[in-house]
Amino acid sequence: MKTSYRVVLAGNPNCGKTTIFNALTGARQHVGNYPGVTVESKSGNFVLNGINIELIDLPGVYSLSSSSPEEEVVFDELTKPGIDLIINVVDSTIPQRSLYLTTQLAELHIPMLLAFNMADDAEKKGLKYDFQKLEKYFGSPIVQTIGSKASGVQNLLKRLAKTLNELEDHGVPMLTYGADIDDAIQAVSEKIDALNLEFCKYIPSRFYAIKLLEHDSSAMRIEALKPVQEEVEVQIKHLLDKHAIKAETFMADCRYAMLAGACRNSISKTGEKRREISDKIDLIMTNKFLGFPLFLLIMYVTFWFTFTCADPLMGYIETFFDWLGEAIKNGWSADKLPYLRSLITDGIIKGVGGVIVFLPNILFLFFVIAILEESGYMSRAAFIMDGVMRFFGLQGKSFVPLVLGFGCTVPAIMATRTIESQRDRTVTIMVLPLMSCGARLPIYALLIPAFFAQKYQAFAMWGIYVIGIVVALVAARIMKGTLFKGDGEVYLMELPPYRMPTFKSLMLHMWDRGKMYLQKAGTIILATSVILYICNTYPVKKSFSEDYAARIEACQADAKLSESERKKAVSELENKKNAEMKEYTVSGRVGKALEPVFRPIGFDWKVVTASISALAAKEIFVSQMGILHAEGEANQESATLREKLVKHYTPLQAFCFMLFSLLSIPCLATLVIIRKELNSWKMAFIEAGGLFLLAYISTFIVYQLGTFLKIGTKLLG
Amino acid sequence: MSEKKCSCENCCFANNKREYQIPVEGKESTLADLPVGTKATIVKIMPKARGSKKLADVGIVPGSELLIEAHAPFGGLIRVKVMETSMALHKDEAANIVMMPECE
Repeated sequence: MKTSYRVVLAGNPNCGKTTIFNALTGARQHVGNYPGVTVESKSGNFVLNGINIELIDLPGVYSLSSSSPEEEVVFDELTKPGIDLIINVVDSTIPQRSLYLTTQLAELHIPMLLAFNMADDAEKKGLKYDFQKLEKYFGSPIVQTIGSKASGVQNLLKRLAKTLNELEDHGVPMLTYGADIDDAIQAVSEKIDALNLEFCKYIPSRFYAIKLLEHDSSAMRIEALKPVQEEVEVQIKHLLDKHAIKAETFMADCRYAMLAGACRNSISKTGEKRREISDKIDLIMTNKFLGFPLFLLIMYVTFWFTFTCADPLMGYIETFFDWLGEAIKNGWSADKLPYLRSLITDGIIKGVGGVIVFLPNILFLFFVIAILEESGYMSRAAFIMDGVMRFFGLQGKSFVPLVLGFGCTVPAIMATRTIESQRDRTVTIMVLPLMSCGARLPIYALLIPAFFAQKYQAFAMWGIYVIGIVVALVAARIMKGTLFKGDGEVYLMELPPYRMPTFKSLMLHMWDRGKMYLQKAGTIILATSVILYICNTYPVKKSFSEDYAARIEACQADAKLSESERKKAVSELENKKNAEMKEYTVSGRVGKALEPVFRPIGFDWKVVTASISALAAKEIFVSQMGILHAEGEANQESATLREKLVKHYTPLQAFCFMLFSLLSIPCLATLVIIRKELNSWKMAFIEAGGLFLLAYISTFIVYQLGTFLKIGTKLLG
Repeated sequence: MSEKKCSCENCCFANNKREYQIPVEGKESTLADLPVGTKATIVKIMPKARGSKKLADVGIVPGSELLIEAHAPFGGLIRVKVMETSMALHKDEAANIVMMPECE
C-alpha cells in the first residue's frame, strides 16, 4: 500500500477552499509560485492515519477553460500525472453554479471526493440534498463540511481516509450531454485514441475531445493533438448547423442543461428568504451615495488602527532593545574587543532593533487588510472604486493590489496578476511603488510625532498616504493616455457574500507577513546594518582641526564656569568632535559629496546617506538616522532620536524627507520584482529613474516654496 | 423607467391571475440599458461580444435569468445576480448582451 498521497483541492473562487486548506494543514504551508506564470501556488502536508498527504491548494476557478492564467495553471496541474485524488470543494449554498466546475473535473476520471462546504449556510437557506443520487451522478463520494468550524472538517478527514483506502474501486462518472454532442465527443475521442498518445494513459481522450470541441486554447496548443484538428472542425460545423450555437459556448450550454436536470432530481428547496443578509448589507455598503464615504471611512479607520493601537506595543519593543544594548555594554568591558562590542551594540542592535520596533505596525496593518479581504469587502471596494479608477486609466481590479501596496510593494506587485489586461497590469505595477508601503511607515512614525502636534498626527499620516494615492492616480492617467492606449480585457468580478473571517486564517495571514518582515530584519537589514556600521565608523579620524581633548580638559578645569555651563560646553565640544569624525567616514564622504545635489531639497549629508542606504530597505532610513545622530559614550543621558531630530531639522525639512521617501523607489527588492513581473530590466530602470526624478522635483518645489513662504521653517527644539 | 420591483411570483403567475406577458418583438434591450431592480432573461449574446466563453463559465448564457442589482457609484460597472451569485461586469460588455425583461 502507498504511504504518501498527492491530493489537490479544486473549486470556485470564494467557495471556502482556502479555509479548508488552512484547517487541514495549519501553519505547515509552503507558498510559492507556479513556474513561468504569475500565479501563487500553495501546498502543505498532514498525516492521516499514518499516511502522509501532500495537499495542493489550486487557484480558485469557475471552469477548466483557459480564459485566465489561473485557469491555465489548474488545467496544466490537473493534466499532469501523479495526482491521487481531487477534493472538489463545492459551495453548497449555490450548488448549480459550483457543480459546473465539477462536471469538468469529473471528465478527468481522476478519483474525486466532493466536499459540500458551508453546509450550515445551505441548511439555513432551506436546501436539501439527495446525496445518494448526486454521488451516483458524479461517480464520487460526497461529504458535507463547514470549513469555518474546526469540527466541520472531521467528516472530510474520515471520508478522505476511506476514499484513499478504496482508490482502486473508485467509480468513473458517465456524463451525457445529449445525443448529438455525445456522438461528436465519441468521434473525436476515437481519433485521439488512434494517435496512441502517452498522456492519454492517465487522462482519458474524452477529456481532450471535449476541450477541443469547445476550442479551448490550452488543449488546442498541445502539439500532439494537432492531427485531430480537422475532425474537430468537421464536428463543430455539424453541431453549428444543427443547433446554431458558437463552439466556444455550446459545451457551457450543455453543462448547464445537464446540471439543471441533475439538480432538479436531487436538490430541493424549502422556504426561501427573500433577501439574504449579505444583500441587505450591500444596500448600504455599495449604495450610490453612501458607498464612497463609507469606503473612505473604512480606509481611515484602517490607518488609525494601524498607527494608534500599535503604539504601546512598539514602546515595549523599543524599551527591550534599549535595555539589551545597555546590558551588553555593561556586561562587556570596553577594553575587550572594543570594535566588536561597538559593532554589536551600535550597529546591529540599533539597526535591527530600530526596524523590529515597527513589527506591530506591520502586523496590525496586515490584520486589517486580511479582515477586509476575507470578509468580502475588498471586492466591494473594487466595485465602488472602478469608476474612479477607470477615470485614471486603471480598473477596479487594480484596486486591491494598490491597497496591498500599503503593506508591502513586493506582494502587491504579485497581486496584480489578477488583472487580465496586460496594459492595465503594467500601469498598475508602475504606479504601485507610490502607494506608501509598510517599510516607509517607520519613517513617518519617527518623524510625525516629533514634528507635528498630537492632534494633527493622525491627519498628517493620512495626508502622506493621500499624497501618494493622488500622485499615483495622476501618473496612471498620464501613462494610460500616452504610452498605454487601447482596449482592455473583458472585466468580470464576483462579489461574494459577506462572511465572518475565521480567526485562524486571520492569524495565519498575519503570521505570514510578520514572518516575512522578521526574515527581512534578520537577513537584509542585519547585513546592511553591519555594512552601514562599517561605512559609518571607518576610516577613524585621528587628527582633528582642534585639539578637542585638551579643550575639554580646559573646560572641566575652568573654575569660573558653573556646573551646568561646564556640562553644556563639554557636550558641545563632544558633538563637534563627533561630527568631524562622522564626516571623515565613508558614508560621511559620500553624503558630503552628494550634499550639494540634495541641498536644494532640504537634505543635509546625514539624510543623504540615510536615503542612499534606505535603498536596501526603506526602514533602514530610521536606523541610519539613529546611528548618525548617536552621541558618544560621554553623553550618557542621551536624548531620544526624536528630540535630536527636532533640534537639527525644521518641520518643513522633515516633511521633505517624508515626501522624498514616499515618492522614490521603496527598495531594491521592488526593482527586482518589477523586472521579474514585467520581464524587462529596461522597465525596471525606467521605473527607478522616473520615480527618482518625480521625488526630487516634487520635494524641490515643496522645499523652495515652503522656504519662500516661511512655512514650518522654524526649529522646534 | 422606475425601479419597479419585479418578481414573477408576484406579477405574472401569482394569485392565478392568468395574466401572461407575451414577449413582443423589438421589446428587447441590452443589459446596459436596464434599470436597477429589473429581472430579465438573456436572449442572445451578440457575436461581436468579446469573452463570451468567460461569460458562459459564470452562467451568462442565453436563457439565464439575471437580476440587475446595482450600478457602481461612479459608473462603469453593473452588478447582476446570475445563478445566485453577484457578478460585476462593465457596461461595454453589457451592451452586447440582449435581454428580455420578464414583466412590464
